[in-house]
Amino acid sequence: MPKKLRRKKIKTRKKVIAIDRISYSLNPNFEFFGELKSLILKSSPAEKDKMVRKILGLGRVKLAVTSGIFLTENTGLDLYDTVADLFIVGDDISKNKLRAFLVALEAEVGKEIKFTLMDKDEFQYRYGMFDRFIRVLLEGPHEKIINKLGL
Amino acid sequence: MSSITLDKLFGSRVRVKLLKFLFRNHPTEILTKVQESSSKGSFSAQELSKRIQEPIDDVKKELSLLEKLEVIKKIK
Repeated sequence: MPKKLRRKKIKTRKKVIAIDRISYSLNPNFEFFGELKSLILKSSPAEKDKMVRKILGLGRVKLAVTSGIFLTENTGLDLYDTVADLFIVGDDISKNKLRAFLVALEAEVGKEIKFTLMDKDEFQYRYGMFDRFIRVLLEGPHEKIINKLGL
Repeated sequence: MSSITLDKLFGSRVRVKLLKFLFRNHPTEILTKVQESSSKGSFSAQELSKRIQEPIDDVKKELSLLEKLEVIKKIK
């Protein structure tokens, strides 16, 4: 291979790397940083009605509980306290639909979602024996967006 | 408040999604330790496009606008 050509190749590769390296971050010195933050974070991360409809379409869903990131009063400080952001109890849940739903939801929320799925038998067993996960979730701040179990 | 209100107020769905994503992933003093290993709140245009599931061109357009307004800053 002639020398000239080889040099050219190396150059183009360097350029690609340089473009990739540019990243963006919020500017904390922005004049209305605090105001914009509270405005943006006050909006509920996902619309409840739409979410309920999509969750019901996943299979025979008995219970769906949102917590953590989905609570509107959450200002972003105590997001790490919750054991699960979304907890679904149901049978015959379509795995493909569930995956697509979670990917779309994470995109909308703009954050990774802590998600837990359980079938009805397992949930009732764990509920009956005061399982720690269930207790922490249902005793902490949460919202039951679907409740067919009469809890 | 639903997010549609914000979309209309800001005039761009992609812009609102970007801001939402950045604010939710912006490390506060308390969270810095938790997020230290993963991210420090800065993302490339490609990464943002993937995470908010919007076309890269739209994302780049909104990023340059937000940067001009000094809402966000570029990190090289």
